[in-house]
Amino acid sequence: MAGLIKIGKFAANKIANKNSLGVIIRSASHWNKDWKPGPYPETQAEREAAAKKYGIPIEDYKTYENDGTGHGDYPKLDDISVERRDPYYPYDFPESKRNFGDVYHVDADLYSEDRYNNSQQRYSMKFMVLSFLTVIGASAAIYIFLEDYKTFRPVAAKQFPRDGKVHYTFEAPH
Amino acid sequence: MGNGIALAHKPEVTPPPFCDIQFDPMMGFPEGRKERVMIATEEEMVAAKLPYEQRDYCAHLAIKLLQCRKEVWPWAYKCQPERHEYLTCEYEDYILRMKEYERERRLMERRERIKKKQEREG
Repeated sequence: MAGLIKIGKFAANKIANKNSLGVIIRSASHWNKDWKPGPYPETQAEREAAAKKYGIPIEDYKTYENDGTGHGDYPKLDDISVERRDPYYPYDFPESKRNFGDVYHVDADLYSEDRYNNSQQRYSMKFMVLSFLTVIGASAAIYIFLEDYKTFRPVAAKQFPRDGKVHYTFEAPH
Repeated sequence: MGNGIALAHKPEVTPPPFCDIQFDPMMGFPEGRKERVMIATEEEMVAAKLPYEQRDYCAHLAIKLLQCRKEVWPWAYKCQPERHEYLTCEYEDYILRMKEYERERRLMERRERIKKKQEREG
């Protein structure tokens, strides 16, 4: 109860005090429209401004085609999954192998370390498909081959009085 | 496992699982056989809402067990004698079915034996 009163007092104080509310809502970028990329850069000056905004050198700055998908001036980064980044570099955020201020790839949700790795795989795709088909095919072949050899309990049909037949025990009637 | 292989290789002398009896039930019983008696009536089974698969020759014991449980609930352990009686009846019913299966199998083998003998002789 004392804890509830404490929380209530804290909330009342937060609402009454305008300054502390201002601390909670201080960033101008608090809604997804604020993070929307700008319009597609047409001139060189616009390109330089956009590159500076995203913090990457102008010679590395490429954009997606202005085909209406809405990427605007967002930079087109190489498709390199997080798995391929150097694991020994001292990153600011080692768990996501990312430095502060690094631009996200448009498909960053796809290329994160727990999703998809587009680097050279240990085995070729052909080898992996063939391995899969070999194992599954062998299992299916064994299953189909043994289909007629299923075991069962040596027992006759259950006898119900509703069958309309006369059922007998193995005893003599007298 | 032997049953499955026998059914695949010798289907003429191996009855399939849950088979119906195709031979005359009195075959090989010169004194005849005792008929199985159904004690519970249809009305009793309907009144007890007995599931369809329990309406066999042990239905009267199933009804007795259900009735006992209803009377002493929640002390269901008090119905242990009734439960034992019912499950023993079901066990004996299963043994009877196994015997029927074995009889069927031996009669099929006998039929094959007679057929082969006839082919040899004539």
